[in-house]
Amino acid sequence: MYIDWAALGVVTIVSITSSVIFTILLAAGIRLVSAAKIKSNQGGSGAMTVSLGYALLGVAGLLVLFGIYLIVPQFH
Amino acid sequence: MTELFVVITVIVVALIFDFTNGFHDSANAMAGPIATGALRPRVAVILAAVLNLVGACLSTAVAKTISGGLFDDSLITAPIVLAGLLGAIIWNLVTWLLGLPSSSSHALFGGLIGAVIVGAGLSSVNGSVIVSKILLPAIVAPLVAGLAAAWCTRLAYRITRKTPSVYSNTGFKYGQAFTASMVALAHGTSDGQKTMGVITLVLIAANLQPSGTGPQLWVIIAAGVAIGLGTYSGGWRIMRTMGKGIVEIETPQGAASGAATSATILASAHLGFGLSTTHVSTGSILGSGVGRGAQVRWSVARRMLFAWLLTLPGAGLVGGLAALLSDRGVSGVVALMVLLAVACSVIYLFSRRHKINHANVTDSHEVLVLAAATPPTYDDDPRLEAPAKPKKVKRPKAKSVA
Repeated sequence: MYIDWAALGVVTIVSITSSVIFTILLAAGIRLVSAAKIKSNQGGSGAMTVSLGYALLGVAGLLVLFGIYLIVPQFH
Repeated sequence: MTELFVVITVIVVALIFDFTNGFHDSANAMAGPIATGALRPRVAVILAAVLNLVGACLSTAVAKTISGGLFDDSLITAPIVLAGLLGAIIWNLVTWLLGLPSSSSHALFGGLIGAVIVGAGLSSVNGSVIVSKILLPAIVAPLVAGLAAAWCTRLAYRITRKTPSVYSNTGFKYGQAFTASMVALAHGTSDGQKTMGVITLVLIAANLQPSGTGPQLWVIIAAGVAIGLGTYSGGWRIMRTMGKGIVEIETPQGAASGAATSATILASAHLGFGLSTTHVSTGSILGSGVGRGAQVRWSVARRMLFAWLLTLPGAGLVGGLAALLSDRGVSGVVALMVLLAVACSVIYLFSRRHKINHANVTDSHEVLVLAAATPPTYDDDPRLEAPAKPKKVKRPKAKSVA
């Protein structure tokens, strides 16, 4: 019986790493943007935090775009 | 004449299978977002249906084989395909009635295997391929996706520990909606193509289409529309089990499990170890529950595992029985169609006894088939009649003592 253990290992590692990276970007982005909102509600300025937060969310968005690139066969 | 009749029947039945495939797998993408309220039920199924249709039209590179190496391709004839499709449809409907997610591609393989065994004997099926391509992935998929989802969930909660959920929930809901849409699109490209492949192979075998050509435009559109309509109809019974039955899904948890599902599906599709979408998304929901430390209903998980292990023999049994009739010319095929209609009607009537639809999908975690439940009370559902006021107990009038 032929079982492609190497492919299985690669799929496992890639699945876990990429989903963890996406979640970290999403959660950290949400945390920073929320913190900035709370700060500005209290009268402070959160320009730095908010832009960093949106940058992280932007990278998460790029990961989604990469996913769509993988799904659509016409792109590759 | 007979051959043409069989070919037309196979095409119709293939489209019916595609429809059941759609409503069986609607929940894979959309159970999470519906359970957390990231998408309203109607919006979610419309979105998934459109993405399924788009996905089906994008990917038309039809697989050269529908046997997946499980048996010799030369054994595939129109009657065998017909019997296999019937086995898969019946299995999909029965598991839908019970609210159990199970892989539609495994059901199709099971039906075909049953039909091939009846037609050409047990030795024609390659047992080791069943283990390496069907049984092993069914165990691996929930483990990989579950592990990924558990870690993602832990991280998501840890990172946003101090963020008030009023702020964080919106972001997580967006994340969930995007990942769910990716799953729906990927599902369209893989499963829509499956039906196109079946129809095209049957057309080629009947010399109605030159060998080596791709699916014709009407086949692409018909298959895409069938899977899209199936997805739109929602499969609410399975939606309830996955969104509510396994574990209560909170918003960050839903986003984490969505991320794990889409990452695992894409990785398995592009790195050469095929995993079933159904097994992956169920595993993610389970894992996310464990990662949050929530109470997982392991009894539901156990039932699903049994359903997965039974998919192949169950669909195979029906496929095998159907194969006894499917190669007996027009009368056999007509008899099969009548039996299919009867089976579908019976299953549909059973489902009516405890109807689940877009309005009540998230109201409970149970999918009931027979009347085993306590009847809903006024407290559960204010739309029911208000309870009757307790009647005044008549007291026997004290007889006046004369």
